[in-house]
Amino acid sequence: MKQSTDFFLLEKNGIDILVKKFLEEHKVFGPIKPGHDSTFDEIKSPKELHLDYISTVLPPKKFFHPPTENLFSFELIENTEWTYKETLHDEKTVLIGVHPCDVHAILRLDRFFSEDFRDPYYLSRRENTIIVALNCIEPSEYCFCESMGTGPFLEMGYDLLLTDIGKKYLLETGTYDGKKLLDGLKLEKADKKDLYEKKKLLEQAKKKFKRHVNTDGLSALLDDDTHDWDIWTKLAENGYPGKSFPCLSCGSCSLVCPTCYCYDVYDVIDLSLKKGVRKRELDSCQLLEYAEVALGGNFRRDRRERIRHWLMCKFGMAAGGDKSGCVGCGRCIRICPSKIDITEVARIIRGE
Amino acid sequence: MFVERINMREKPKIAVFKFTGCAGCQLELLRLEDIFLDLLEFFDISYWVMVKRENQEDGPWDISLVEGSISTPEEIKEIKEIRKKSKFLVAFGDCAIGGCIPSIRNWMPQMEAETQVYHDTSAIHSTKVLGIGEYVKIDAILKGCPPHRENILELLKSYLLKTKPRLRKHPVCIECKYRDNACLITSKKIPCMGPVTSAGCGALCPSLNRECEGCFGPMSNPNPEALASIFRDIGLSEEDIIRKFRKYAGTSIEFQREAGLR
Repeated sequence: MKQSTDFFLLEKNGIDILVKKFLEEHKVFGPIKPGHDSTFDEIKSPKELHLDYISTVLPPKKFFHPPTENLFSFELIENTEWTYKETLHDEKTVLIGVHPCDVHAILRLDRFFSEDFRDPYYLSRRENTIIVALNCIEPSEYCFCESMGTGPFLEMGYDLLLTDIGKKYLLETGTYDGKKLLDGLKLEKADKKDLYEKKKLLEQAKKKFKRHVNTDGLSALLDDDTHDWDIWTKLAENGYPGKSFPCLSCGSCSLVCPTCYCYDVYDVIDLSLKKGVRKRELDSCQLLEYAEVALGGNFRRDRRERIRHWLMCKFGMAAGGDKSGCVGCGRCIRICPSKIDITEVARIIRGE
Repeated sequence: MFVERINMREKPKIAVFKFTGCAGCQLELLRLEDIFLDLLEFFDISYWVMVKRENQEDGPWDISLVEGSISTPEEIKEIKEIRKKSKFLVAFGDCAIGGCIPSIRNWMPQMEAETQVYHDTSAIHSTKVLGIGEYVKIDAILKGCPPHRENILELLKSYLLKTKPRLRKHPVCIECKYRDNACLITSKKIPCMGPVTSAGCGALCPSLNRECEGCFGPMSNPNPEALASIFRDIGLSEEDIIRKFRKYAGTSIEFQREAGLR
């Protein structure tokens, strides 16, 4: 529930006090390394937290929709009778240092996992997690959230929000849960000057982006069946000399994407052959097996079809709509061994 | 129910054979020691020279796990015999699938290879080193040098359950990302074979900051040409690139072009 916002100021080392407070009743997760290839992991003491990180390999998606997870275990009691036990994770958790693009991605996953059907495994984790977001003052060379309307500053989706305004952090409350988390802490109130400072920093941050993308009219262009798009063949088989190598279909782009939710479900039977676990695992539309059906049929046998599908999905044109659309975090650009750049692809399609 | 079905009939008989290779795949099977007795509840080990004194020499066997590549006329004869006596024949590991490391010999003249090892080559009758599939029909393959124990178990369990085994053919990159690893190629310019190599190892090497050597062989529908051009871009010589693709699966259709067969 949206509450009236409180504004506080926090000394730089005030983060330590905040983390200690969170640790009293929550498991705390945050970035544990500086730089581009950081990791969200458990924070056991404040000094492990690295709010100076640029990006992580896996997005915070991994906490709510992990790469692999056990959904439930089952056991045969009699020859035809089964019992099963669901694995639900409902530990109170705080996720600290989440960038605006990743918060927007979580909001989209929320919709996917709760609108058409309710996914108890995702939602039990999500409903027990408090998000402490961190606005981006210095977008990286891969970022283009500003073009996608998901950053660099956040306006929704957070319980608490941090902005580095120079000597101090500006701390804003977004929800009742977030507010409650600050109970008992003596915090300095922020004034108009501090809010003005934040606004100024936002304007400055917007100017620092090196990557831009214009997605206007992309869907109309791509919907035009009369046009023969050779871009997909080029991306898959030829590459763009000086820009990108041909696609490897390695699936890295979709696994590091904060809005890619596709998964596979399978059973692992114990050696007793009487019990087992049902598992869920992240899948990727870049893999040959993804669109494989019985008797070896395959809807997307060609690499060209697969890279096309992923990019169209990120442009909001697949079944997921904007629930699986791009938020401009730039992870796929950094991870791609073939240097395929989604912003460049959009430019080529638009004929820019 | 399936448990009943299994208990009703006789235990399937397993045989393990070795051809040209290092015996590492058999060792991996032996490394199941913590659950080996559980396995014997369901299977009879009928022929396995490495671990048993008394072996049933003449078959028939329900499951034959064949390790190693075929490299002599005697071996060709032998594998054909085994095929006749086996209901379900498994190419167990990369050597049996496509020759693996011994097949590096295929890229030099026979004479050169022989004289490097033997003074008197008159008794040597080697052929090109090839997988068993060159000579007999294979029912299943277990990739890897050696195959991972989980995959061995998956195949054996699926035999009992009469289900399709879940043996993934996607690249190592998938398992590597599951472990939250940064890409070695893009972050450190290390020539990793992960993007063309079949998963199944749990991204063992990249998780230790070592490049994937490619020991599970080609993934499904790989793009080795693209990876070779990426290797060139990060400074590998043509010779190095050829060596990388030759090492574990140079004879495979997928890699043979990058391995130097033009």
